[in-house]
Amino acid sequence: MASVDIECSDASKRFGATEVVAPLSIALKAGQTTALVGPSGCGKSTILRMIAGLEDPDTGTVMLGSEPPRAVARRGGLAMAFQDPSLLPWRSVRANIALGAELARKPAKDVDALIELVGLGGFAGHRPAELSGGMRQRAAIARSLISAPDVLLLDEPFGAVDAMTRRRLNTELPPLWRSRGATVVLITHSVQEAVLLSDRVLVLSPRPACIVADIAVDLTGPRDAHLLETTEALALSREVLSALEGV
Amino acid sequence: MAALRALGWGLFFLAIWELLARVSAQDVLLSGPSDIAVHISGNVGLLARATLETSINAMWGFVWGNLGAVLLGAVIMLVPRSERTLLALALLVFCVPLIASGPILRVLFGTGTGPQVTLGALAVYYTTLLTFLIGLRSVSQNWTDLMRIYGRGALSTLIRVRARASLPYLFVGLQISAPAAFLGAMIGEFTGAERGLGVLTLRAMRGLDTDATWTLALVAALIAMAAYTVLGWLGQRVVGYRPVVLLSAPASSGPRTPWAALAEIGFIVFLVLILWQASMDVFELNRFFAKRPGDVWTFVMEPQNRSTLLSALGETLAFAAPGYVAGLALGAGLAVLLVLSPRLSTAAMPVAVALRAVPIITTAPLLVLAFGRGLVGTMVVVAVMIFFPTFVACQQGLRQTPGQIVDVFRSYGAGRWHVLRAAQVPAMLPAFFASARMAVPAALLAVTTVEWLATGKGIGVLMAMTASTSNYNMLWSCVVVLAIVATAVYGIVAGIERAVLRIYASEQVT
Repeated sequence: MASVDIECSDASKRFGATEVVAPLSIALKAGQTTALVGPSGCGKSTILRMIAGLEDPDTGTVMLGSEPPRAVARRGGLAMAFQDPSLLPWRSVRANIALGAELARKPAKDVDALIELVGLGGFAGHRPAELSGGMRQRAAIARSLISAPDVLLLDEPFGAVDAMTRRRLNTELPPLWRSRGATVVLITHSVQEAVLLSDRVLVLSPRPACIVADIAVDLTGPRDAHLLETTEALALSREVLSALEGV
Repeated sequence: MAALRALGWGLFFLAIWELLARVSAQDVLLSGPSDIAVHISGNVGLLARATLETSINAMWGFVWGNLGAVLLGAVIMLVPRSERTLLALALLVFCVPLIASGPILRVLFGTGTGPQVTLGALAVYYTTLLTFLIGLRSVSQNWTDLMRIYGRGALSTLIRVRARASLPYLFVGLQISAPAAFLGAMIGEFTGAERGLGVLTLRAMRGLDTDATWTLALVAALIAMAAYTVLGWLGQRVVGYRPVVLLSAPASSGPRTPWAALAEIGFIVFLVLILWQASMDVFELNRFFAKRPGDVWTFVMEPQNRSTLLSALGETLAFAAPGYVAGLALGAGLAVLLVLSPRLSTAAMPVAVALRAVPIITTAPLLVLAFGRGLVGTMVVVAVMIFFPTFVACQQGLRQTPGQIVDVFRSYGAGRWHVLRAAQVPAMLPAFFASARMAVPAALLAVTTVEWLATGKGIGVLMAMTASTSNYNMLWSCVVVLAIVATAVYGIVAGIERAVLRIYASEQVT
């Protein structure tokens, strides 16, 4: 697996008369995790969709390494977890998770390990309709990880997950994607989660989205809930919050 | 317990039927169960052979028609730009009454089962295509986004997501179309086959054999209902549930100027003419019976021919219109009334769904026997043909009223009539108009079939006469005129639908 930089150059997007994303230039380093935070409806998801190649920017370009997003998608180098789990209702949990590898044309290794990791052991044969909202969301996260993508896009993936599981996933998932060298872009409404999971936090303005603060998260030590209680982490959280309050 | 109760009701129904038949024995209109049993026992071999023949033809029609529908649906998904053209062509073919295409197919195929199978296929493909398309589109955008995220195209999305998501809808289509295949096969047999239930029906009608007519109608209805039930059961087994499907062509997308619409119609007409001419030339069909667009044009331009054609059309429309309006009004009216009595509605629904499955044409001879060969008889056949689908669709539409909206009314203490008028009837309108549109070809089919079989008036009988006197120019002209009228009326109903829905259900109008 190759690590891939993400580079947006003057990428903007409008829907009809509404400008959703103002010309945006960002460079995200390969293997790093970047969190996008900002008020609801500011255009975070649209930025993610442009990076995924699901929306073409009206101006500027989006490149993943030396390739456009769709080329990376075609070779199975992209994966995304949506706000909605979007599982196929006729497939079991295991088959839904394996779908990620199947579509990326990669062997579905470690399905069981991933099922255990996201806390769905014992539910592998269940259909999505038999799971709670949080369990479905965890299956969707596992689906995005199974193909070991170069670029992993997470659109508020933990929103529907209960507090305890969210805390555990926040600790256990990042080492997995970091060890695989994935470049991760994460949308979250939790400032603490942004600080805990990422190497960099981009704070966005209300629509049309533009970057109002670019905060490097330079924390040492294991990334777990205890880290958030350190002075450095608290200071970073305050910095992100005050940037958000300023928008 | 439930089975015993059903058996009890069944026996009670048979007893009443028998009693009525005995009482009205002088009228020669109604045959009782005992008369039917006697007729069956005396003609077991003949009936069994005819039933087998018609069933086999219907089955092949069902297979080919549905395969065609699935193929068309897949092409539309893979090449979205082809959608408007393909759907317009599909609608145009669907709008040609089967009784009109029957004689032409008979001429093209000669003797044999070709016309029966083809008409069976033509009777089913459009219903299946519409339900299949609704199913193919029933996927969430996230699912298609997921496919794109992994670089997969339309074909992969079709195979992995859309095909499976469409299964419940496809089964609904197959279920509704099964009786239609039977209807198509029987109409094919009306147009000059050697064997089958349709041939026996014609014979019974012409010989005024009431017992035979009743027996044949009953056999045809029972087989069609059995096919409907079996497919429903199979669908339930395979996919586990039955979605509510509004049988309606997908709304056209994107704003269109009148000029663009006109250009599109022009293109479709041009395409139809090219396809018509080319198919005749490629297969080198004999010009004596395989008329080209030019032949029909020349024929229709003769004032005398045009006058014959138009006066027959006038008679047909005069008979079809009251039946069409009556069928729609009765179907919608009864559905609305039953909302006021939920218990009665629950009881009536399965009966109506079952009766919708009966290919009404097979019972047309009975209705004509009962109501005569004039306006009333024809009107009743047309109305009955339209009544059941409209009733079922309107019932489903009424049930789609959002519970929260009803709750808002109730929280203000609104009465049943108020809720019905202000919330439920507007919620029913999309279903009503979908039925009204689909009923246009059905009404023309019913009226032309009755004319062909019984009344001796209108364009149906003109076709029957010209088919037997080899006046193929007139036959082809009749088909063209019927197709144009059906498509035009369909378009007018669609226009009224858009105007009404813009007011009452603006989210339905794109």
